[in-house]
Amino acid sequence: MSRRFREGTNPMKLSLRSRFFACAFLVLGMLACDVRLASALPTGKVIAIPAFARKYGLPCSACHTAWPELNNFGQVFRDNGYQLMNDRDSPIWQNPSYFPIAFRITPNWHRETADHQVIDSIPGGGGGSVPIDGKVIQSGFDLSGMDLWSAGTIYKNISFVLLPSSDPTAVWHFESAFIRFDNLAGSRWLNLKFGRFELDNIISEKRFLFLTNNGGLYQIYHFNVPGSLNNFGYGDNQIGVEIAGHSINSYERYSIAVLSSNEGGVNFTTDVVPGAPPAGRSYDVNLAYTQGFNAPGFSESGIGVQRIQPFAYIGRRPTYNETTGGAALVGEGNKPFYRIGVQGIFTFKNLEIDPLFMHGYDNAYLGTATPSNSGALPAGSQGPTFNGGFLEAHYYFNPQNVVMARYEQINVGKQALPSAVTGLPGNYGNVKAYSVAYRWYPIMFSRAGLAVHAEYSITKSIGIVPESGDGTGGPPLLPTDGVWSSSTFLGFDFAF
Amino acid sequence: MRLKYFVALGVAVMISSAMVVFATPPAGSGVISGKVTYTGTPPKMKPIDMSKEPSCAKQHATPVLTQNVTTGPGNSLQWVVVYISAGDDNSGTPTQAVRYDQKGCEYLPHVLPMGVNQPLQIYNDDQTSHNIHPLAKVNQEWNKSQPPGSPSIDTKYDKPEFIPVKCNIHPWMHGYFAVLKTSHYAVTGEDGSFEIKGLPAGKYTVTAWQEQYGNKTQDVTISGSETKTANFVFTATPY
Amino acid sequence: MTLKKFAVTFALGSIALLAAGSVEAQDVHINAAPVGSPSVESGESHIGDITGHAENGKKLYRRFCVGCHGVDGNGQGENAQWINPQPRDFTDAIFKCRSTPTGTLPTDQDLYDAVTRGFVTTNMPQWRPLTPYQRADLVAFIKTWSPRWAKEKAGTPITIPPETPVTIDSILRGRAEFQKLECWKCHGPQGHGDGPSAATLTDSKDQPIRPYNFSTGTRFMCGETNRDLYRIFMTGLDGSPMPSFADVVKPDEGWDLVHFLRTMQPLKTEEKRLWIDYAKAHQNDIKPIGPDAAAGAQ
Repeated sequence: MSRRFREGTNPMKLSLRSRFFACAFLVLGMLACDVRLASALPTGKVIAIPAFARKYGLPCSACHTAWPELNNFGQVFRDNGYQLMNDRDSPIWQNPSYFPIAFRITPNWHRETADHQVIDSIPGGGGGSVPIDGKVIQSGFDLSGMDLWSAGTIYKNISFVLLPSSDPTAVWHFESAFIRFDNLAGSRWLNLKFGRFELDNIISEKRFLFLTNNGGLYQIYHFNVPGSLNNFGYGDNQIGVEIAGHSINSYERYSIAVLSSNEGGVNFTTDVVPGAPPAGRSYDVNLAYTQGFNAPGFSESGIGVQRIQPFAYIGRRPTYNETTGGAALVGEGNKPFYRIGVQGIFTFKNLEIDPLFMHGYDNAYLGTATPSNSGALPAGSQGPTFNGGFLEAHYYFNPQNVVMARYEQINVGKQALPSAVTGLPGNYGNVKAYSVAYRWYPIMFSRAGLAVHAEYSITKSIGIVPESGDGTGGPPLLPTDGVWSSSTFLGFDFAF
Repeated sequence: MRLKYFVALGVAVMISSAMVVFATPPAGSGVISGKVTYTGTPPKMKPIDMSKEPSCAKQHATPVLTQNVTTGPGNSLQWVVVYISAGDDNSGTPTQAVRYDQKGCEYLPHVLPMGVNQPLQIYNDDQTSHNIHPLAKVNQEWNKSQPPGSPSIDTKYDKPEFIPVKCNIHPWMHGYFAVLKTSHYAVTGEDGSFEIKGLPAGKYTVTAWQEQYGNKTQDVTISGSETKTANFVFTATPY
Repeated sequence: MTLKKFAVTFALGSIALLAAGSVEAQDVHINAAPVGSPSVESGESHIGDITGHAENGKKLYRRFCVGCHGVDGNGQGENAQWINPQPRDFTDAIFKCRSTPTGTLPTDQDLYDAVTRGFVTTNMPQWRPLTPYQRADLVAFIKTWSPRWAKEKAGTPITIPPETPVTIDSILRGRAEFQKLECWKCHGPQGHGDGPSAATLTDSKDQPIRPYNFSTGTRFMCGETNRDLYRIFMTGLDGSPMPSFADVVKPDEGWDLVHFLRTMQPLKTEEKRLWIDYAKAHQNDIKPIGPDAAAGAQ
């Protein structure tokens, strides 16, 4: 699903009683959707279908542990360029009425809260109103954004993805758009991808099982130490070129990507929507290597392969703009940053555990927002760092029922400027997040998909509002306040 | 002297009784005979176009007809297997082999009855290869190539079943193996008549099987060495 | 305070889920083994030193296989009506790719290889990305669909002698055999799958089926090596029109035929190279394969 991170919100107060009902609703939702009912719905014959399943006649669960998350078979399919390598992958072999497109949207009910928010003591901000510390709550029915996903082969060994995606207000952007030349020189170790795409991470934020504003993102995939000029998110789609390869069963994979330093932006800006600031001219590199293995005693009877992936992203961001009449033209004064870490997917019988650890570093110019042509850095400045990650677990009762939970933590290692200078606490920006969710797929055949999704996610950030999917919330009154933001969600996630 | 005579006679009687006891089961002398006919309209048998196999086509002055409903004078039905389906003691496996020929790109005979575990020999008498592909469901299905001049394929079936036989190379070839538990069976000839001989006294269920129209059964009781008549009438449809 | 709320909800939620999870979360709409065959629980497969268990295979079958092969294992999954060739009907226990003689059951290794390799040009994927244990479990479960597995043992794999050297003489002998055995009647004189009998071929379920087209095929249904090719015509592809030639082809002749068949494929093989050289030098001598009895003899 698309994730847009912007500021702005209009929350509303909610009483204790309503809060209780929200929790009860979630619990009741889980009880009602329990596994005994899980496989009850009959599998009728439906004509409209998600693209890959109908092209090859496989059920969703063949490629997905629980869609959209991929299992190893789906990973190999993706690594092959969305091909089964059965000499029938070229579109010439498909029924002409087949079209490689799938739609996905999630109408839902949700409730968002954020505490330690600055609100007017008198609503309306009239005479005598002062800013006070308050909790903002908003809830109601809503839509998610929509994905219009088209992917497949143009020709044998030439595959593509085109994914225009909209936010709930139907503002469209290109989430992904690339062409991939697969199996160059007849080797599966050489594949070239060109365009806008997700970075090669086995724990994919685009294909995971969480949907709320607080839980529907990995905090560490978007974290930057507060105050830094850096806008990089490891979970954001980037734009560039990638060479990748994989062994025949994708137990071993590698990728090297060279990307513009513009956070996947278009028109030489740093975003895919109009009005974004101009980007610089530099390039970033992403490296990833995956190793899969079967652990005796763990892989038997389990849902899949054990996988581990070290990764590194080394990039640059501009520290000032070349301007004309004060208006920005081109980003200049690039300074480096990196993100390195390791992630894994481990399975034992029906349990899947996804840990990730990441260490990040921004150059001091970026961290202190100092233009690199302005001379010296402020006294006491250093390149800020952070360490963090998450531990996520899924339990698959069967292919149509999965419960998920996640704990995330990010600690700022070094702030860019000392507390004495900024007056900010040393843990300014630290994040803790918890999520728990449940998905029930009442129907699962090769034609369309439906999941009933229930989720509760809460995030805390010190001194700033936590990063969230709808960008709601503002900074608290005091920089030492830990702002809690929560999402409660019940939705119907469908794709066809 | 007389004693020796009696002893000899006694021995002879004993030996001959033993021969009767230990030889083939008591061959009764009852006979069930009859005719298999049809009412209604059977499909017309079509001439087979063997032009894709000239070496076979030239063996037939006039084209061979399909054989799924082979009729004869007096509304008779040929190639109907009539057999004892209940009441038979089913003892003894015949050891003599039965023979199935592929000749002129036809199966001869069109329907071959045999006993369970009775040896079956399949011959290719043509100048073209055939593949012999009995489509058994209860027994094992197998498929073997038999080029001209190759030796017979020797096999047997261990479960009763009516097995369609086809050749993939020559799709018009259809035949049947009728693997039966009983050794008392007959196949109707061109005039639709059959005769099942050698039945001991007893109550029997007789079944007639036609490849397109299925089964018809009758109960027949044999006492002693009589000939009982059992006729079968199938309702024929044009398709 | 928010943490407490989270804890409460988490606790309530966990209780709810544990209650749900305590119910035996086995899928209920997959049929268990049919009457008369070994129970799902005791079914096992043995491939190398891996043992597969039908009970685990049942869960995997639901995840990966049911869409085509059906809840009853009879090849009538929801997608079967759009698939050609049709998915395998496991209740018949008739399998194309075996190392055992025609009419016999395949070995566990044969089934494992079939699942791993998939079937090129069909909708059966290469399930190699599944772990070996998962594939072994699936093999064990597949065997529960037919009562034949309880009553018969798997056939004895045929003996494949060492391959004879690849020489032009071997290829030419193979070509003569292709003519004599009348392979061309189905496969066509150049192996294009367009022989005189090709258009009327039906498989054992009376579905139209096409013979292998050597000129486009990069792999075979049952493998890709010369050994695999040898095994194909020495065991026949049960359930299809392809018979076994084990009774009529001697091992050396079998290898000759393999070498010739390779020359018809669009691959860069030693056989193809030798054949192309020979064909250039003997353009006018080579008689085409076909109904003329003397053709192919060289």
